[in-house]
Amino acid sequence: MSTENKFNEEILNSIAEGVITVDKTFKVNFINRAAEEIMGFKKEEVLGQFCKYILKCDLCQTKCPIGIVLETGSNLYDYSSVIYDKKGNRKPIKLNAAILKNSDDKPVGGVISFRDISELERIKQQSDIISNFFGIVGHSKAMQEIFKLIMEISESDATVLILGESGTGKELIANAIQATSTRKNKPYLKVNCSVFPQNLLASELFGHVKGAFTDAVKDRPGRFELADGGTIFLDEVAEMPPHTQIQLLRVLQEGTFERVGESITRKVDVRVIAATNIEIHRALKEGKLREDLYYRLNVIPVLIPPLRERKEDIPHLIKHFIETYSKLYKKNIPDISDAALDLLMKYPWPGNVRELENVIEYAIVRTKNDSEIDISNLPSNIKNTSAGQSIPLKSFRTENAASLLSLLEKHKWNKTKVAKELGIGRTTLWRMMKQLNLEE
Amino acid sequence: MSEMLGNQYFLSRNFSKAKEAYEKVLLSEPQNDFIKKRLIICYTQTGEINKAFELFYEIVKKIIDLITNTDLVADDCPCPELISKYGNVKPTEECSHDAKLMLGMLWLFCNSQISFEFFNNLSSEEKSDERIVEVRNIIKEKINQNEKHYS
Repeated sequence: MSTENKFNEEILNSIAEGVITVDKTFKVNFINRAAEEIMGFKKEEVLGQFCKYILKCDLCQTKCPIGIVLETGSNLYDYSSVIYDKKGNRKPIKLNAAILKNSDDKPVGGVISFRDISELERIKQQSDIISNFFGIVGHSKAMQEIFKLIMEISESDATVLILGESGTGKELIANAIQATSTRKNKPYLKVNCSVFPQNLLASELFGHVKGAFTDAVKDRPGRFELADGGTIFLDEVAEMPPHTQIQLLRVLQEGTFERVGESITRKVDVRVIAATNIEIHRALKEGKLREDLYYRLNVIPVLIPPLRERKEDIPHLIKHFIETYSKLYKKNIPDISDAALDLLMKYPWPGNVRELENVIEYAIVRTKNDSEIDISNLPSNIKNTSAGQSIPLKSFRTENAASLLSLLEKHKWNKTKVAKELGIGRTTLWRMMKQLNLEE
Repeated sequence: MSEMLGNQYFLSRNFSKAKEAYEKVLLSEPQNDFIKKRLIICYTQTGEINKAFELFYEIVKKIIDLITNTDLVADDCPCPELISKYGNVKPTEECSHDAKLMLGMLWLFCNSQISFEFFNNLSSEEKSDERIVEVRNIIKEKINQNEKHYS
């Protein structure tokens, strides 16, 4: 090796960015120390190998970074991608790519420099969790407790039972549980037990063999088989007919089942997340849900409070939905008026977050571009219900006085800061304080 | 378009784009046998069997080792997966002339004996192309040479 090449290699080995060069056939002909460290390979394992087998970059097959430079003639800077190291660990990276040319200006190789941004992504994800946990907006103490619980159980394969009224976001919670679990990259199947006719649910869950019933024209695996190694989300689990509940109980206890019409016992390893919106104790009392199944499902219970019990989330949810639907309808809707917000804060939200989302979508459609949402843009049922009733307000008083008081104390009664945290105007805050008889 | 861009398309199994890139390079480098070898495979995948055979015939006559010495792993040769894609048809099985010709060419990258059997089968067809017979004989000669070498 010439002295100049040796110097160059030393320089490249001293930098923190990974550097790999390839020849014109895309075989690796140089790798620096940082790249060895990021990818977990030794130099001698890599040299002479095709880069696609080393980097295992998610773009290798579709948009090879060096290929893009060759096609466009422009170098790539800070291009986001993902590589998999020797052990198969996923590593998000930012990469630069350039072409190496000979004296005739013909491409004879390429260079990729990259840095591992796993740590950066982890920190970013953690900060996102506070305001937006896997797409769930929840600043209230109750929702923060749920997010904390989900993180705590991320290493566990235990069965989870999610309880909550319709529209509270049970499926989003199930998705978050799956996405934070060790099975996140394994199959994830969802079954709404209430949409299948009672006689077909068992076949859907456990599969059937040809001839098991009139329409069974061929063998078909069930959702449990398809989810083997992964997770299954059983929504409306209390709607399951009694005989299917027994089969589910057996899968939970032994991991075994038979396809409908078959006597061969099959074994699966599936984590079950179940959900229901019915009042569980009444279902048990009426015999609608088997007690033994309930105890098997209820290993980790997650109770999502209705929106009326966490009204402090409403301003944040409104802000989130305004952003979402403004983008969807290509409108600039900067905010909601204090009066409209006040009305929405008083409404009891029997349809929970789903109803609030629909209301905001409706309001966005009806609001002129560059204007804020006002009472006149809200659906009439909201206007009528809230105007003439005092129950929500009363309920709001008792449920929120304590939390607002603690927020005021946290900010030493600085109303601007409290209003900012709640995502509301100072006037609205003043009105809320007046309603709740909260004075300094 | 450069040879390197063609190589990138070839590695990502985008054979139609690889073909375009390689054809352009071949205009300025008509003696580049490495490109011709890869173009044979590209043409089989773009349905241009006659063009593939033209190049195949040229390479087999000139330097058959260029194909038979292919290292399937080290060269990331796509032929095994392509052959498997067509259902691992055997030389004696019923299939079209073009399919047999394509498989005969692809097999030479992996296994000379099976390639020979395809060309031998094609040679026995009525009004067989003289070049097919010639290719069959060259492959046979290569097999014999190898057998002598190893015996």
